[in-house]
Order: sequence, then structure tokens, then C-alpha cells
Amino acid sequence: MELFNNLALGLSVALTPANLVFALVGALIGTLIGVLPGIGPIATIAMLLPLTFHLEPTSGLIMLAGIFYGAQYGGSTTAILVNLPGETSSVVTCIDGHQMARQGRAGAALAVAALGSFFAGCVSTLLIATFAPPLAVVGQSFGAPEYFSLMVLGLIAAVVLAHGSVLKAVAMIILGLLVGLVGTDGNTGATRFTFGITELTDGIDVATLAIGIFGLGEIITNLSQPEETRALVASKITRLWPTREDFRRVWPAVLRGTALGSILGVLPGGGATLSSFAAYALEKKSSAHAAQFGHGAVEGVAAPESANNAGAQTSFIPMLTLGIPGNAVMALMIGALTIHGIQPGPQIMTERPGMFWGMIASMWIGNVMLVIINLPLIGIWVQLLKVPYRFLYLAILLFCAIGVYTVSNSATAVLLAAFFGVAGFVFARLECEPAPMILGFVLGPLMEENLRRAMRISSGDPMIFLKRPISLGLLIGALALCVLVALPAIRSKREEAFQEN
Amino acid sequence: MAFSRNSGAPRAALRQMVARKNMLAGLLFCAVALAGLFLSRDLPIGTALRMGTGYVPRLLCWVLLALGALVGVQGLLEADAGRPLPGPGTSAWRPVIFVTASLVIFGLTIERLGLVLSILLLIGVGAAAARGLRPLEMLAAAALLIALAWGIFILGLGLTIPVWPGW
Repeated sequence: MELFNNLALGLSVALTPANLVFALVGALIGTLIGVLPGIGPIATIAMLLPLTFHLEPTSGLIMLAGIFYGAQYGGSTTAILVNLPGETSSVVTCIDGHQMARQGRAGAALAVAALGSFFAGCVSTLLIATFAPPLAVVGQSFGAPEYFSLMVLGLIAAVVLAHGSVLKAVAMIILGLLVGLVGTDGNTGATRFTFGITELTDGIDVATLAIGIFGLGEIITNLSQPEETRALVASKITRLWPTREDFRRVWPAVLRGTALGSILGVLPGGGATLSSFAAYALEKKSSAHAAQFGHGAVEGVAAPESANNAGAQTSFIPMLTLGIPGNAVMALMIGALTIHGIQPGPQIMTERPGMFWGMIASMWIGNVMLVIINLPLIGIWVQLLKVPYRFLYLAILLFCAIGVYTVSNSATAVLLAAFFGVAGFVFARLECEPAPMILGFVLGPLMEENLRRAMRISSGDPMIFLKRPISLGLLIGALALCVLVALPAIRSKREEAFQEN
Repeated sequence: MAFSRNSGAPRAALRQMVARKNMLAGLLFCAVALAGLFLSRDLPIGTALRMGTGYVPRLLCWVLLALGALVGVQGLLEADAGRPLPGPGTSAWRPVIFVTASLVIFGLTIERLGLVLSILLLIGVGAAAARGLRPLEMLAAAALLIALAWGIFILGLGLTIPVWPGW
């Protein structure tokens, strides 16, 4: 079996002491930032991205990946115990998870969330291992026109699946594309939007932008609001094991959540948050205990928590196989690859099988570590919740500052990040979701290059996008999505999906 | 903040209309688009087949301008009095100014004063962004963070950032 050979290769890479340590570090940091409200995986990965330059690329990717799925584990702890989402992907977990905690069943809720996540993590790791190779083969047959059309579809899907106003999301993508233009035009050598600053001729680094918008922007946003009171329902968790009745009710919910999350994770614009919202909505509709939802239904914890972990992991599939990021975290992972001079795309699997399979295998190892980190050691994380934000943000501020300085060892990057921090705060105030901006920023140069290449292939005939069958199919898909989102019935459903609380 | 306090009723109504989130977002997008158009005014456009340096930027700016206008109109048409920005009770000027200032200072001093002193400055200025941090707490936090940063970045990752002032 080729799959087992590949996984064996992956395990041999992931089980080296160094990589085990980085998987653990990633899982620990992920849980930490997952538990702590006010800092999310995007900001954390952006802060640590420049530092991975000093690591082996495989180790760096293993750590960054661990942060993303580790945050899905940690987020549920805060949701259940404090009724605050540690992450946006655990917003819906608050509803029933916190009710369970108030009924004295915090331990059961935490265990269901962790075990559901673990199951979802194992399944989605297998899904990646099974579906990534054939997809990469498909990707290798893609030419420039197909890639361009695929990115068009990806961007449109990202808009359709994003929170809030579609118009604003499109505007944010355009804004990201514009920021991506800053620097030297690769084709003509002329500079654009550099304001005469020499450091800007190389363009803006994705880490600088993300640290500013997500890291610093969130600090300002959080400080401008009165500090939320964190009232722990149970400072001591006694019974960590769910009842037999819980298990009976939970397993179908976990299965459904895992399936839904795995599918939504692969879609552009999908990932952890969308998966958890959708899984909760589905569970509420299909459950036999629908009346209990909102009053501590155990399915209401199991489904979204499995879904967000599944979605977080399967969103690696398009990034690893096609080199196309589906969400902001994957855009940063692309940034991590390019830091090491690795061209993202389908050739990674054949050119760097050790890295490719090592990362996949590490996800399973990371999930095992996370169950241990999150269940027996839950008490430590609960203690951390008592650290007030006024201390926490100083640490975040410092890590942002050092992270962005090491991007290019220049003060200019720090000043730029400060500017983007204010921008991020303004976006948050005006309810403009910044994630599409990062996607536009990363995809912009890729799209431009593929557009130019396609034009060169066809000697300037734009019909090439319609003549090639795969490209045509992708564009039809993009058009269909546009039509769908314009339909009033779909539009109201879409808004409903994101307004669970 | 720039509005005078004794403005009449029509002015208050205007202010409320403009202070809607979508209205402001639309204006922001339009402003960026116009600035982009202004900045790229001298770049050659070229043709669709042989795109000049200015082709894509201008195209994007026009699209952004249109989108900004649409978002703004959407804001105008919102049925209720809109969702106005949070009142003056939740003033954001303090964090905006001090978080930005702390980073600017850090960026300007890290190379000359080294890691330890620039972190002290970062924490000192950054701490002013939040209320309720006592001086002693701040010092303790700074000491802890300096030790942490030194341990991770200098000792652990071996970054070549100067630790102390260079002279």
C-alpha cells in the first residue's frame, strides 16, 4: 500500500526528536492562544513566521500547523468555562458548553470537546493523506490559465463564505490586491506605491501585514473596549469523564461534525470558523433533542468542536497540493514556505516528500499530544485564564514587535506594522472582515503572474480561459457562486448561518 | 471629535448619518481608491495585451471606488438610524496612540539601544495604553518579558539583535 509507505516516511520524519519537540511546542502555543481570548492563531502564526526562518523548514511548518489546530482544542476550554470564545471558531461552543458547565458538567463538556476534536483530527489527517496525492497529480496537469481560473473561483468562494457583507468582503480583497502591488513591478521593473521609501521596493512582507492587522489591530480593539469579566464557573473540575448516555448521544454528532468540517475546510474561505457554525446549525436541525439546544445539549459541544478541528486540518489540502491558500492562516503558511525559498504548489509532494508527509504525520502526533495537554492538564490552562488582559497584551505587543523586526531586520517593517495596526483597528470598528484582505494580498501576485503567462501562451487572446475545459469549468463555478449569493433565499440563509448567538 | 459641541439639530442628524459603519467604510474605500488613482497617475497604462505598470493598479482602484460608493449608499439606505459607532464612553484614542507610539519607539531604538532598553521603552509606553496597570506591576512585567525575550530569541534562536547599547 502506497499510503502506508508514505505515512511511514512521514512518521520517520515527524518522529525525529527535533520535530517531536516542535510539534509539542506548536501544540502548547496553540492551546495557550486558544485558551486566551484576545489573541488568535492568525496573529500568532504571523508573529512566529519570521522566526521559522531560523529553523529547518519542516520543523517550522510542523510547529505553525500545530498552532492552528491546537488553537481549536484550546478555544473550547474558555468557551465552556468562561462563556467567552477563546477563538472565533468556538463561538458556538459557548452556547451549550457553558450551560453544561453551569449544570456542573464542565468536565464532561471539556472531555467531549477534546475527544471529538481528537477523532476529527485523526479522520482529517487520514483524509489529507488519501486525497492530497491525487489532487497534487491533478494540480501538476494545470497550466497558467487553469491556475488563474482556480484562483478566481477561490477568491469568490472566500467572499461568499466570509462573515458579513459581501460587498465589503470584495472591497477588502481589492484592498489586499492593492497592498500586494506595493513594490517593484516584476514585469517592467518600475516601482509602484513606494512613496520613495527604499525598503518598500521589495514589497510588503505578508508577516508585517498580518502582524499589524491581526496582532496589533486586535490589541487596540481589545483595549478600546472595557475589559470583560472572566467569571470561571468551576475553578476545580472534578468529573472529567462523560456518562454512558453522553457517549451514546455524542458519537453521531461527532461523525456529522467531522464530515461537515472536513468538506467545508477544503473550500476556499472555509476552515475552522465556518465549519463550527455550520455543524452547530446542522446538529440543531437534525437532533432528536433539539429542544435541549441552548440549555446544555452535549451534541451542541461535540459537533462544532469536531467540525472546527476537521476544518482546520483539511484546509491544508488545497495549500499543500495546489499551493493555493483557502484562508488567512494558509496564506501565512504559503509565506512560511516562500521564506525558505520553497515554491508552493503540487511539486512539493514529489520534490520534498519528507516535508510533505512529515507534516501530515505530525498532525496525528500533534493531536495525540493535544488530548493529553487538554484533558489531564486542564488545570494549568484554567490557571492561565486568571491572567488579566492588561498583562497579556504587553507580552503580545512585545512578540509582535520582535517578530516584525526580524522579518527584515529593519525598523521600517516595525513602523509599517504600526500603521497596519491602526488600519486593523479601523477595519474592526467598521465591521470589515480583514481575512479576505490577506487572501487578496497573497493571491494577487500569483494571479497576476498566471494571467500574464496565460496571455503569453495564447498570444494575447483572453478566450483561452474559456477554451480550456478545466478553466471553463472553474469559471462557470465562480459565476454560479456569484449568482447563488445574489439570490435572496440563499442570502438570508447565509446571514442566518453566521448569527447563531 | 472634530465636531463643535453646540451644533444644531440638522448637523446632529448629518453626523448620525455619516457616523454609520457602512457609510464610513464606503468613504474609507473611496478615499483609498482616490489616493491610489492619484499616486498611479504617472504610471504608464499600456494596453490589455501589453499591460503597463499602471494598468492593474488603476483597474483595481476604479473597482474599489465603485465598491466603496456602493457600500456607502448601502449605509445611507439602512432602515434604522444605522448602527452608529460606539459612543464616546469607549474612547479608543488612548490605545491607538500609545500602542502605535510604543512600536515606533521600539523600531527606532532597537538597533541603537539594544534589546533590553528598547523592550523597557516598549513596555513603558505600551503600558499607558491600558488603564489600571500599577508602576510596580509594569516593572515586574517588563523584567519577566525581557528575560523571556532574551531566553527565546537570543539564547534559543540565536538572533543577531544587539542586547545592549552599541557604544
